Amino acid sequence: MMDLSINGAKVLATIENVPLFGTVQITQTLACSWLVLLIISALCIWLGSGLKVTGISRKQAVAEMAATSLLNFVRGNMGTNFDHYIPLVGTIFVTSVVSNLISLLGIWSPTADLMTELAWALVVFVLITYHKIKASGIGGYLKGFLDPIFVMAPINVMSECFTPISMACRHFGNILSGTVISALIYAALAVANNALFGFLGSSLIAAVILAMVGAGVLFYGRKAKKKFFFVLGIILAVLGVLAVLTNLGATYPWLMVGIPAIPSLYFDWFGGCIQAFIFCTLTTLFIKQAAGE
Amino acid sequence: METIYQSLVAVNPVTLIAQICNLFIQLFIFKKFFWDKILAILDQRRQAADQEISDAKAAHAEADAMKATYEQNMKQAQEKADSILANAQKTATLRSEEIIGQAQAAAAQIKSKASADIALEKKKAINDAKNEISGLAMAIAGKVVERELNPADQAGMIDRFIDELGDNV
Repeated sequence: MMDLSINGAKVLATIENVPLFGTVQITQTLACSWLVLLIISALCIWLGSGLKVTGISRKQAVAEMAATSLLNFVRGNMGTNFDHYIPLVGTIFVTSVVSNLISLLGIWSPTADLMTELAWALVVFVLITYHKIKASGIGGYLKGFLDPIFVMAPINVMSECFTPISMACRHFGNILSGTVISALIYAALAVANNALFGFLGSSLIAAVILAMVGAGVLFYGRKAKKKFFFVLGIILAVLGVLAVLTNLGATYPWLMVGIPAIPSLYFDWFGGCIQAFIFCTLTTLFIKQAAGE
Repeated sequence: METIYQSLVAVNPVTLIAQICNLFIQLFIFKKFFWDKILAILDQRRQAADQEISDAKAAHAEADAMKATYEQNMKQAQEKADSILANAQKTATLRSEEIIGQAQAAAAQIKSKASADIALEKKKAINDAKNEISGLAMAIAGKVVERELNPADQAGMIDRFIDELGDNV
């Protein structure tokens, strides 16, 4: 009854016999990443052009506010010694937000592919390791794995490796859950739509009666100033009108209009922004911790 | 062509490497076209503000210095005026003393001259009186004695008489 399949990225092209890699699949993730890259680059160039010291434009005010927020965010988490990492943190944040939100336009979100987050997490992991070695020397770094006793070494190595994996999976998992839940909602709405309009659409008379009853309840609710009846009347009347339209041959999954936007507000907008924020916060905190400051 | 999908969680090294490259390209563009420019503008603005503040401070210091100079000048002028006044007073005192001294000297001179004149006049008057008296006495004596005396005896006698008389006068 419910037809649901959730897939990974679409493979756009397959190239055989590439040296070193063998079969190479160019996926939707890459194409959409390049799109995101173009969007952000255009945004950066637009925001970074025509800057003035005094008498600034509204655009520049927004750009400066964004830059100052980023500066304060990184300095708040890491202090002033890591100012050279601000562009990296900003880049990851912006790329993550745009990648997450681009799915609202019906474009495949590059962050719905684990490889995207893993790429960022690996870069952060390299920085973490660099700072650990810088802070305590290569000997001290290796010795740290034997802490507190040497039998702990395998666990320490694993925990070290799980830092980037957990960062990547946390972000990916949240985006994936959003994708899965919206797919589930769409599928469920399709089923509900079929059930509702299949029933209502079977009889034109029933549909007309429903619409009229709805209108009656609506007017009663309005006249008696009872909100419950007013809203109920609107719902019944709209359902009745849609059922009449279905009966007249205009079939459309009406329930999919508007309703998915409500969970999307949380899963796509809020979740997308908060995951970018969490990823950047972890990046800053891990690097600071690694540097031992 | 049949649409192929990756599995939901797929490991694809090509995507991974490409995404790392994308991150660095994005980082470069973000830094070069946005971050550095915004930072430069913020720095310029901060420098301009600092410049304004230091200019204001310099102007303030200059005003303070001018005020100090002015006050010093005023003080000096006051001192100068005071000293001029004191000098004038001193000079006036000296001058008045000098004038008084001169006047006193002149007065003394006049007084002594007057005394001398008086003495001279007295002497002259006495001499005149002597001559008058001698003449008178001679006339009286001529009448009394009724004899001609030679002038020499006559003069000697008269002088003696006058001297006696003068001592009594």
